[in-house]
Amino acid sequence: MTRRPPASPLHGLGAVLYKEVRHLVREPTTLAMVIILPLMQLVIYGYAINLHVQHVPTVYYSESGEPLSQHDIQSLEASGDFRIVGRVTSRAALMHALVANTAQIGFVVPQGYATDMTLGIPVRVPVYIDGSDLNVAQLAHFGASQVALALEHRYGAVRTPPALTVDPIILFNPGLRTPVFLLPALIGLVIQNIGIVLVTLSIIGERERGTLEQVLVTPIGAPALLLGKLIPYAVVVFGDLLGVLALMRYLFGVPIAGNVGLLLFLGAGFLVTSLGLGLLISTYARSQHQAAIIAAFFLLTSFLLSGVFFDINLMPPIMQAVSHLLPLTYFIQVLRGIVNRGAGLADLWLPAAATFGLAAFVLAWATLRFARLTAKGCA
Amino acid sequence: MGSFAIQTQELTKHYGTTTAVNGLTVSVEAGSIFGLLGPNGSGKSTTVRMLCGLLPPSAGTATVNGMDIVGQRRAVRWWIGYMAQAFAMYGDLTAWENIEFYGRAYGLSSREVRLRASQMVERTGISRYLQTRTHKLSGGWQRRLALVCAVLHDPPVVFLDEPTAGIDPATRRDLWDLFVEMAQTGKTFFVTTHSLDEAERCSRLGYLDRGTLVAWGSPQEVRRAAVGLQPGRRWFAIATPDLIGVCGAAAGLSFVHRATIAGGAVRVTASDECTCSRLAEGLAGRVALADIVETEASLEDLFAETRP
Repeated sequence: MTRRPPASPLHGLGAVLYKEVRHLVREPTTLAMVIILPLMQLVIYGYAINLHVQHVPTVYYSESGEPLSQHDIQSLEASGDFRIVGRVTSRAALMHALVANTAQIGFVVPQGYATDMTLGIPVRVPVYIDGSDLNVAQLAHFGASQVALALEHRYGAVRTPPALTVDPIILFNPGLRTPVFLLPALIGLVIQNIGIVLVTLSIIGERERGTLEQVLVTPIGAPALLLGKLIPYAVVVFGDLLGVLALMRYLFGVPIAGNVGLLLFLGAGFLVTSLGLGLLISTYARSQHQAAIIAAFFLLTSFLLSGVFFDINLMPPIMQAVSHLLPLTYFIQVLRGIVNRGAGLADLWLPAAATFGLAAFVLAWATLRFARLTAKGCA
Repeated sequence: MGSFAIQTQELTKHYGTTTAVNGLTVSVEAGSIFGLLGPNGSGKSTTVRMLCGLLPPSAGTATVNGMDIVGQRRAVRWWIGYMAQAFAMYGDLTAWENIEFYGRAYGLSSREVRLRASQMVERTGISRYLQTRTHKLSGGWQRRLALVCAVLHDPPVVFLDEPTAGIDPATRRDLWDLFVEMAQTGKTFFVTTHSLDEAERCSRLGYLDRGTLVAWGSPQEVRRAAVGLQPGRRWFAIATPDLIGVCGAAAGLSFVHRATIAGGAVRVTASDECTCSRLAEGLAGRVALADIVETEASLEDLFAETRP
């Protein structure tokens, strides 16, 4: 029998298919991940993501010092767009609530407005809107008139021209520019991604090439090994952080309203978390394959659930709980707070503490796991 | 008890229900080369990895340079050098950068690294490749580099896990010359190998079969002990220019268990009714009786009889 070289470009397809199927079934964990994760992701994200902005936290300042009546509040909340979360006692406090992000809308109830309206004297209500969240700002901009309408109804003063007009004042992003809203969050996302990918690939690469084992025979201890690996990456990622902040500022023209030093300090905490997450993933994944799947799942989850695009407050409670476990959620709050709203540490103490707390937690967890694996000879 | 660099007592390693190493008890004298022989999967690498502190034993104890491999795991690492089975240097670093890294890992200053490396670098001939990235080096130079890195800190005990696997015979001989030279300076070598001519260069051997030490002693003693494990066998060597034809013909004889080509001759393992003349008869004139001699079993013969 003479054998001829195959002419078809598809020659060998069967052999490659055979091999690939064997690869897939050989690693049941990876196969299970490949099948289950997309289903899980669709369900989780499908439930979590809600583009209909509702219940925007709102505060008000009553010039007369008199709180709005329960009835007034009900009228305001009737549309479901706003949720009155409190009354402040000065305009400064109202601004502060917006800077600290305890509210995204604040309005001022002018002194004697009820009487004026009854007498037909035009009343103007200033409505301050957090423009750094485009979803909220757009709703509030167009929906602020509902505040007026609700109050007009309340006092039976609906007339043309309206007795009560709202003055929407967009704070932090007066032009309602997308980069102002998006770039700070994207910075958090890219810093997290690069940190995780760098460390995961480095550690799993060393494990697969056998260099990790060779190093573990030397007197280098696990903590020294990890720190020695992480510090150069931390410097590189910190350089990335400076780079992306500079691009945001000078290429996209998004100013940093707050303290840059504070931002870099908290950014350093966050990059430790992201490197720690990379380390943690590398201790759970048995191969680059698995690491890539776990990292992709984590990165997409962070992207969708940590408030980059989608408002966490609109997610079901369980998804909100998940989002509050994600380090990126807190760092995005830090970024938007400092970059857009000029918030200080006093305003951001909670996300700042969470950023450092999670950094310590993730790093400790990853280090302990790594040390345990090396002691068992599984690293 | 003299000075033993390595001692194991009932050293055992289980992986789930599989026993990789089963009650290994050996003592290795300081300044000797101990060869651990055995087929693939017999537990050689597991033994080395336990002794280097990379794997905790499931049972038993062992000391390396007088230190317990479990209780003094970190201390043990100061006193050993290790060369892994696969090349495990950093491929994107140059040979010198790898040397510098491993020197520093053992607490040597740059000056000390230069000082200590110079002699080894010269002796191994790797000096001309010091600035080459190691992934570009051939297998032989990679091994030489791994050896330099393993002994740079002057450890009294060196573990070599199949140090010459996949290496050409000339390089292999060079490397073994180095091991022997270093052993003469008092270093102890613990070497796993498949290569039986290498095993013959060891001062002592252990023969592992399915995790159990079935023979140990000098190469001659191990050979004799292994013969004892295979009663009713005789070994012959046939000198012939037609190696393939004679090997095939011999393998077809009913009283021949195994025929292989080794060292320019056909080696035959046969049952004890076999004699030189019966072999000559069976080979039907292909070979003269004078070209067949009965020999002692070589380690190769014995090794091939064991099944993993």
